[in-house]
Amino acid sequence: MRFLIIISAVFCYGFVDSKKIRGISSSYKRFYRERKSFLCIDGSKIIPFEQVNDDYCDCEDGSDEPGTSACPRGRFYCTNLGFRPHYIPSSRVNDGICDCCDASDEYNSHAHCQNTCWNLGQRERAYVEGQMRTLDEGLRLKQQLIEEGVLLWREKQAQLRELQQVAEDLQIKLEEHRRRKHEADRLKEQTLKALEAADSGLRHQNSTVTSIFELLDSNKDSSITVDELQAKVALIHDEERVLSEDEAVALLGGGRQMDLTKFRHTLWDILTKGDSVKIKDTHGAPGSLVGEDLHLEAADRAAKWEATNLKKVEEAYDTVNMEISDLRKKLAIDYGTDWEFLFLNSQCYKLKVYEYTYTLCPFNQVTQKNTAGTEVSLGKWGMWAGTPKNQYSQMVYENGEPCWQGGSRSATVTLTCGTETALRSVKEPSKCQYIMDFQTPVACQPVLKQRGIHSEL
Amino acid sequence: MNELQRWLGSSQILLKISCLLDFLYRMAPVLLLWLAVCLSGTWAVDRGNFKTCDQSAFCKRQRALKPGESPYRALLETMELTNTRLTLQLINDNNKVRLLLELYRLQGNITRVKINELKPLKPRYEVPDVLIREPPTEPLSLLSQDENGVVLSLGAESQRVIVSARPFRLDIMEGREVLMSLNSRGLLAFEHLRMRKDTFSYKVTSTVASVWDNIKRVFSSLDFSLPGVEHVYGIPEHADTLRLKTTDNGDPYRLYNLDVFQYELYNPMALYGAVPVMLAHNAQRTTGIFWLNAAETWVDISSNTAGKTVFGKMLDYVQGSSETPQTDVRWISESGIIDVFIMLGPTPNDVFSQYASLTGTQSFPPLASLGYHQCRWNYNDQEDVQSVDAGFDEHDIPYDFIWLDIEHTDGKRYFTWDPHKFATPKEMLQGLMDKKRKMVAIVDPHIKVDSNYKIHNEIRSRGFYIKNKDGGDYEGWCWPGSAGYPDFTRADMRAWWASMFAYDQYEGSMENLYTWNDMNEPSVFNGPEVTMHKDAMHGAWEHRDVHNLYGFYVQMATAEGLIQRSGGVERPFVLTRAFFAGSQRFGAVWTGDNAAEWDHLKISIPMCLSLGLVGISFCGADVGGFFKSPSTELLVRWYQTGAYQPFFRAHAHLDTPRREPWLFGPENTALIREAVRQRYTFMPYWYQQFYLAHRTGQPVMRPLWVEYPQDPATFALDDEFLIGRDLLVHPVTEEGARGVTAYLPGKDEVWFDIHTFQKHNGAQNLYIPVTMSSIPVFQRGGSIIPRKMRVRRSSSCMEHDPYTLYVALNPQRTAEGELYIDDGHTFNYEKKEFIHRRLSFANNVLSSVNLAPDAQFTTGSWIERIVILGASKPSKVTLKAESQIEFEFDASMSVLTLRKPGMNSGADWTVTLQ
Repeated sequence: MRFLIIISAVFCYGFVDSKKIRGISSSYKRFYRERKSFLCIDGSKIIPFEQVNDDYCDCEDGSDEPGTSACPRGRFYCTNLGFRPHYIPSSRVNDGICDCCDASDEYNSHAHCQNTCWNLGQRERAYVEGQMRTLDEGLRLKQQLIEEGVLLWREKQAQLRELQQVAEDLQIKLEEHRRRKHEADRLKEQTLKALEAADSGLRHQNSTVTSIFELLDSNKDSSITVDELQAKVALIHDEERVLSEDEAVALLGGGRQMDLTKFRHTLWDILTKGDSVKIKDTHGAPGSLVGEDLHLEAADRAAKWEATNLKKVEEAYDTVNMEISDLRKKLAIDYGTDWEFLFLNSQCYKLKVYEYTYTLCPFNQVTQKNTAGTEVSLGKWGMWAGTPKNQYSQMVYENGEPCWQGGSRSATVTLTCGTETALRSVKEPSKCQYIMDFQTPVACQPVLKQRGIHSEL
Repeated sequence: MNELQRWLGSSQILLKISCLLDFLYRMAPVLLLWLAVCLSGTWAVDRGNFKTCDQSAFCKRQRALKPGESPYRALLETMELTNTRLTLQLINDNNKVRLLLELYRLQGNITRVKINELKPLKPRYEVPDVLIREPPTEPLSLLSQDENGVVLSLGAESQRVIVSARPFRLDIMEGREVLMSLNSRGLLAFEHLRMRKDTFSYKVTSTVASVWDNIKRVFSSLDFSLPGVEHVYGIPEHADTLRLKTTDNGDPYRLYNLDVFQYELYNPMALYGAVPVMLAHNAQRTTGIFWLNAAETWVDISSNTAGKTVFGKMLDYVQGSSETPQTDVRWISESGIIDVFIMLGPTPNDVFSQYASLTGTQSFPPLASLGYHQCRWNYNDQEDVQSVDAGFDEHDIPYDFIWLDIEHTDGKRYFTWDPHKFATPKEMLQGLMDKKRKMVAIVDPHIKVDSNYKIHNEIRSRGFYIKNKDGGDYEGWCWPGSAGYPDFTRADMRAWWASMFAYDQYEGSMENLYTWNDMNEPSVFNGPEVTMHKDAMHGAWEHRDVHNLYGFYVQMATAEGLIQRSGGVERPFVLTRAFFAGSQRFGAVWTGDNAAEWDHLKISIPMCLSLGLVGISFCGADVGGFFKSPSTELLVRWYQTGAYQPFFRAHAHLDTPRREPWLFGPENTALIREAVRQRYTFMPYWYQQFYLAHRTGQPVMRPLWVEYPQDPATFALDDEFLIGRDLLVHPVTEEGARGVTAYLPGKDEVWFDIHTFQKHNGAQNLYIPVTMSSIPVFQRGGSIIPRKMRVRRSSSCMEHDPYTLYVALNPQRTAEGELYIDDGHTFNYEKKEFIHRRLSFANNVLSSVNLAPDAQFTTGSWIERIVILGASKPSKVTLKAESQIEFEFDASMSVLTLRKPGMNSGADWTVTLQ
């Protein structure tokens, strides 16, 4: 009953209104006050008032025919009581298609239009209420996520600081280890040089008499014999040939053996002069020489040990630095004014559309997998690309797998307000260009809510 | 590998198939790489895939023959003259093979010449179904005869045909003037069917080689000399200038329906369709040659003035030593007989009616199909269709048809819908119908070989497929993979095919769903030159005999299906890519897979003009260009051009970015909207032109010379054109243009800019400065054009809208025009349900009189406005000498606008200016 009253009220009101000047809103009524003449709203022309809505276009701006289809630039006001009023182009008046829900645009056509405003209004109100609930819930969830985001941000910051501390410590350690390794290397070097002096150093007077004597004294009995001499000493001009016994005896000063004291005054001089004989294999088998040197062996072991240690520390340092750089990169991304989008990082969302499964990993990448399991990259995180008003309304993922015709795949993700975080739709309007609808509470905007209230209710 | 490479490299497929290969793409990177290598640098057509004359054995052999004395002799003693025809035998003195010459005088100033073997070993193919009937004859009479020849009278106009015996030649004369000579250069050649001599020595690759194997190419060839002619036109389809070029220094023009991947411009290569009709024109006369042969055909053109400089010509003239200019044409066909119709004009319109009397006129399209068509390969799903549809409303751009390409089907099985993407086609179609809009879905002739596919099973079980030479069903590779090709040359096959369009057969179809036949050359990805093997069998005939007819038959059967599904009530709309002479009877044609390049925009004009000259008026090019992505400027210019061409459809390749009209910023959206809206304001005029084309065979889109046949300045113009007689369009087709120079014809005529109403004199080159919004269009002084200025969502929404009459006065202050109205979509106009008025302005009186008093139709449409261009200010305007009509006069432009005269469009009325 009450419904009927409302309907009839709507009808009567509509009727009275249209009887006067069809197709205008109340705010325009002042232009159409009944007088003798009518001034086109753009001021271009004055026409008799009877020519308003007489189905002939007189005004350039179409203002004389708000209720007919006569003017190419005209517009018709649908009052749509019970729903939302709006303008339609004049060309939709009496075109046989119901455009206004109050059927006011088809007052002279074959179309049988029903007044559907009440139903539409109800549906719209229900929808708006639903939207409002979603928005409320979304905003509540968003607040949580913001709080979590802040915590997460702090946590990540702390993590970063920690890592940086570790890195600093490692740096000090690294310096220390580098120093130690350097020291060990130096020691080893010294030892090695000493040994080398014992060999080629003869000619350069760098080795001690004792060490050369010890070198030649293979069996370490403090005396050099003919055999020992033959084994270690060769003619400078004929290295290959083993010294003959006579030659060896001659070098030993006519005897078959020689002690250190005698060596110092005879053979040592000959060797240091270096023009007739020399010590064999000084370069041929240094390892054996070194290996035989206990000092050298120890120095070498120490150097190796320090190198290993250094490498370990270096690796640790690199790992930590990589982690820092990763974290920094992640933290450098714009996660919204309150870090509300931070939680999306490291999450992935899937949606199956026809034969493909799409995966969106925010701030990372977008992929498409077919039923055969082949995965294709549709793009890597690029940037926010929303409106100037709200740049966080859209993300772009770029440089996905190349396309058949050149260029590479890319995905544009539009974020909409919802109580859950989920991928809602994926389309490919042009080849290799994907558009996705991604719903999440963090996309809910309080401004939207205010606007919603004003325009919808 | 080689074979695969050939078909991969060859065609079409490469881009279109990309989606099909996508899975391969992902699964086999190596293959992809290999493909990429093959593809790189193959942007333009790969000429290597298509034959030149040298590579076509019969063309090469025939072309090697040089003009000289013909070996043929007419045996006058064998002459028989009946009331309807003359026959006599010709003998080739070299091999003593005899031919039979038949000569007919046809009604309407046409001479038919047929040459066939006197006693062929088996019948040679004669093209059926193209002529609308056996052409009615007129009596021939013998004027004189001696041992050198005979002279026959060709009716009243002192026209004679002289048959010379030795060597054989035909000369058609009017008075003392030779209009056309046949075999005057001695190039008649007619290979006779022979038994193979060398069956044993020849390698026989097939086990069932027939005795015909070796004598398939039994070419026929004939030369025509056209004295006094320097301009020849027609023989589409070629991407070339309107005026045909001489071919002495290159290949002949080729007629062989082919799916050419990314065709090149300005060359004589064959394209998707073939109409073997050539028009010859000079200031005195227009004639035509219709070479009725459906086999591969080459046309050589040479001219004795080609290459002469203007100075040289002038010198000839001054010295009086000029030989008469002459164009020589040679036609070479691979098989069949010589069956040629010589249309003797003398005016262009006479030639159009003569040709129409043979092959019929343009089908009268549903009004809506003259509106704007939105197409793309592909609109992905129903939601996509809905959102594009909504986009047009949101941006207030009218359109009538939205199109679905191959992806709408269930796995390229035509007559089906993708079960996911187009799950509820009727719902989608109903949604369009609610907005008075329509849809076109593609149905190609290649049928997926799949035993779970009803269409395939039926065709196979009925034996309707084309057979290979071994007798099995011919299979080729096309969109669905392996595919069969129904034999559309069979009437029973066509009847069955037509029945598949019934609403209960074609599931998901509704009355606002129409059809697009693509790939009907036919395209066979792995076939020679991307088409069918010539030895495939259509019953007793080889594919080589019928090749150029295949697409013609596909469209014929489809159009018949659309007619039948409505019980014969509704007019069909079918778009085809391949065509032949007579295809005009079945619907529209487009210029195939063009590219988003300025030159492709330019070539759309001569390509459609050439088609119009040979009867196919309903022609258009893909707006925006199919391959590649147009610059915004090119896209806008293309809309502006397409809005003034008969078939107005935007289309885009799968791999190109979206280009719906509103995607290029509000400014460009407005430019495109304006172009489309201009189209819709002229819908009554377009419709009337198509009615005229349907009635008379005159082209809708015409070269200027058709209306100004004596003005040589118009003979080679192909950057501007006429729509009907009264609208001259010079679209902007240059990038960054600041102005265009349009030639306005007619010495004593005036032309009115349709936008500014500025008047210009005829017979001048007019420079017109242009901006991005300019579409230079002029209305001829002396014409009346009815328009509908209330542009709505679709043409159907405008059905009952009032008319505005644009009366453009000539210097004599008169004007004439017509107004045609019917229901816009049924065949009821054949039952005289229409309004046809003559509108004329003379002595300051504009009147509407009934041109079809026996026709009946009522309309609610009234006359809302009359705009008289070139008027002077009256003191009073009255309707039927009774009521006064208000008016406005713009003295600066001399434009008189009569306000709301209000009479019904179907009524008799007079409006008097005092």
